[in-house]
Amino acid sequence: MYRYDAIDKAFVADRTAEFAGQVARRLSGEITEDQFKPLRLMNGLYLQLHAYMLRVAVPYGTLSPVQLRQLASIARTYDKGYGHFTTRQNIQFHWIKLADTPAILNELAEVEMHALQTSGNCIRNITSDPRAGATAEEVDDPRVWSEVIRQWSAIHPEFSFLPRKFKIAVTAAPKDRTAAKLHDIGLILRRARDGSLGFEVIAGGGMGRTPYVGPTIRQHLPVGSLLSYLEAILRVYNRHGRRDNIYKARIKILVAQLGAEEFARQVEAEWEQIDQPSVDLPDTELARVRGFFDTPAFVSLPPKSEAFEAAKAADPALARFARNNVHPHKQPGYAIVDISLKAPGETPGDATAEQMDVVADLGERYSLGEIRVTHEQNLVLPHVRLDDVAAVFAALKAAGLATANINLVSDIIACPGLDYCALANARAIPIAQDIALKFAEPEKAELIGELKIKISGCINACGHHHVGHIGILGVDKKGEEFYQLTLGGSAAEDAEVGKILGPGLPANKVADAVDQLVDVYLRERKDGERFLDTYRRTGLTPFKEAVYAEAH
Amino acid sequence: MKALTANRLLDGEVVFWNAGDWKTRFGEAQLFEGEEAAQAAVAEANQPTVIVEPYLIDVAAEEGGFAPVAFRERIRALGPQNHPQHGKQAEGGHDIEVIQHAHGVARSAGRHNLIKLKK
Repeated sequence: MYRYDAIDKAFVADRTAEFAGQVARRLSGEITEDQFKPLRLMNGLYLQLHAYMLRVAVPYGTLSPVQLRQLASIARTYDKGYGHFTTRQNIQFHWIKLADTPAILNELAEVEMHALQTSGNCIRNITSDPRAGATAEEVDDPRVWSEVIRQWSAIHPEFSFLPRKFKIAVTAAPKDRTAAKLHDIGLILRRARDGSLGFEVIAGGGMGRTPYVGPTIRQHLPVGSLLSYLEAILRVYNRHGRRDNIYKARIKILVAQLGAEEFARQVEAEWEQIDQPSVDLPDTELARVRGFFDTPAFVSLPPKSEAFEAAKAADPALARFARNNVHPHKQPGYAIVDISLKAPGETPGDATAEQMDVVADLGERYSLGEIRVTHEQNLVLPHVRLDDVAAVFAALKAAGLATANINLVSDIIACPGLDYCALANARAIPIAQDIALKFAEPEKAELIGELKIKISGCINACGHHHVGHIGILGVDKKGEEFYQLTLGGSAAEDAEVGKILGPGLPANKVADAVDQLVDVYLRERKDGERFLDTYRRTGLTPFKEAVYAEAH
Repeated sequence: MKALTANRLLDGEVVFWNAGDWKTRFGEAQLFEGEEAAQAAVAEANQPTVIVEPYLIDVAAEEGGFAPVAFRERIRALGPQNHPQHGKQAEGGHDIEVIQHAHGVARSAGRHNLIKLKK
């Protein structure tokens, strides 16, 4: 993992002290709320319905056990004993007091964490593959490049007041676990025929009220030119992105209006003007950053673990966990273990302080000191020996964390919605709970197979509803909560924005409607088809008929 | 009928105005019959070092008492539904029960001039 150097430490300490001063001035009345609000937002502090919310950056979804324990301690000391992992690999605390925030930021700084770049119109925390450094699929370690972008973008003077917030995703595997095509910039590392590493650069994707799957503006950007090229994109956006209309201020609107080709042309022209060597990272610095992500101390093991095979044969629950939550690792004898934060009936993405401590201990003992957060609001132990999976499973089970439902119908993304969020129109969490409970029977969920349900409580789309295989959007219709269903979205490499199924449904009909959609899928599916594949073959009609025949 | 609400500056706690004081329970909120009295309270309650963003909410008579009309405001007065042990609902009491059993929902009338856009 990356470790702070003296500059990082001094920078975070300065910002923490600065914010403590700003809080003191706000409390004394020296500055007004209008003056204070943008300052607190730059430090990840929002005011929500019941309290302040502090969003802490988890850089590209990587956590050490020490960091996770500190988050648990903060949850215990300053919140109500839990935290909420978000759809951008961050964690937020929902019951924070303004007066406590300087102390919390100090405690975060002690473990090389902060809440910068989690709010405001700047380049936000980078999203990356939670399986980085562990999957055999990747051509390079995307964390190296994510860290490079983090250092370059942190309080970048030119890009701290963009027309709107700006989100970047980096992945290096063909299977996209970052929603790269739905980011302001998506970077996909690939190796060219000549063996050279480059980025496919996607720009202008996004969700919100105007969803776009981002177009590719460059097929192969040599990796060494990453920062100057990003600078060129940001400059074109900073210059021409709209500041007069907040609904049209994201880069996706600019790219869509200019067209991908013209946007790319302007970026290339800007890039030509830039003194590239002064911006791009010197090889020595890249090597220094890369050094932090060296291959961990794997031991030589046989590819198959007899102990694990025997344990699976003896325990069907472990076998189910292995089928759904345990994934191949690049190193023989190791596995990637997903920890679901989606136990049916619980709040998607929530973890108690005790659960965080358990995962931190497991990370330390069994995963070479590494823990990851996924944008689907789950956790990952990236480097577990197959020999240890049964022990990890037992510990997770004791902590209520062994739900074997990764990518299944009950592994639902949901934003906090109207239960917490000041922007929401409708609840999202109770809808997720209803659906997950309906499919709580593990055999049924497994029979259905991969099915990604994503729920947002408003059009800002933090719950990624546009790209759910089944998307659910809460709307306020003449003063009542209604839920609009979309089908056929995908956030993966086959990214697509879902299509609206029909008129909105009241809250108490949503879980039933999902059940009906699933029934249609089970009836129509052909060999090996996922829900999404069946939908793509049949179109909306059979699904629509099932839901609305009943609804009338 | 209207009530005046805000979040307390220091900790974000939901508070309700009552004759010169901010109360934490909706049951203790002062209810205003007329627009004039409500606006007078808004002017008086402008205490920027005590609270943030004061605004008026619609309140209606419900069985056994009163409740905010807007669903959003009911959640503010109660707490999040996914954690019944969190927020004001955890304390229980008659005023809480009235809101929990209130009928009818009209969220859009809840908060005036609210810009629902992420910042």
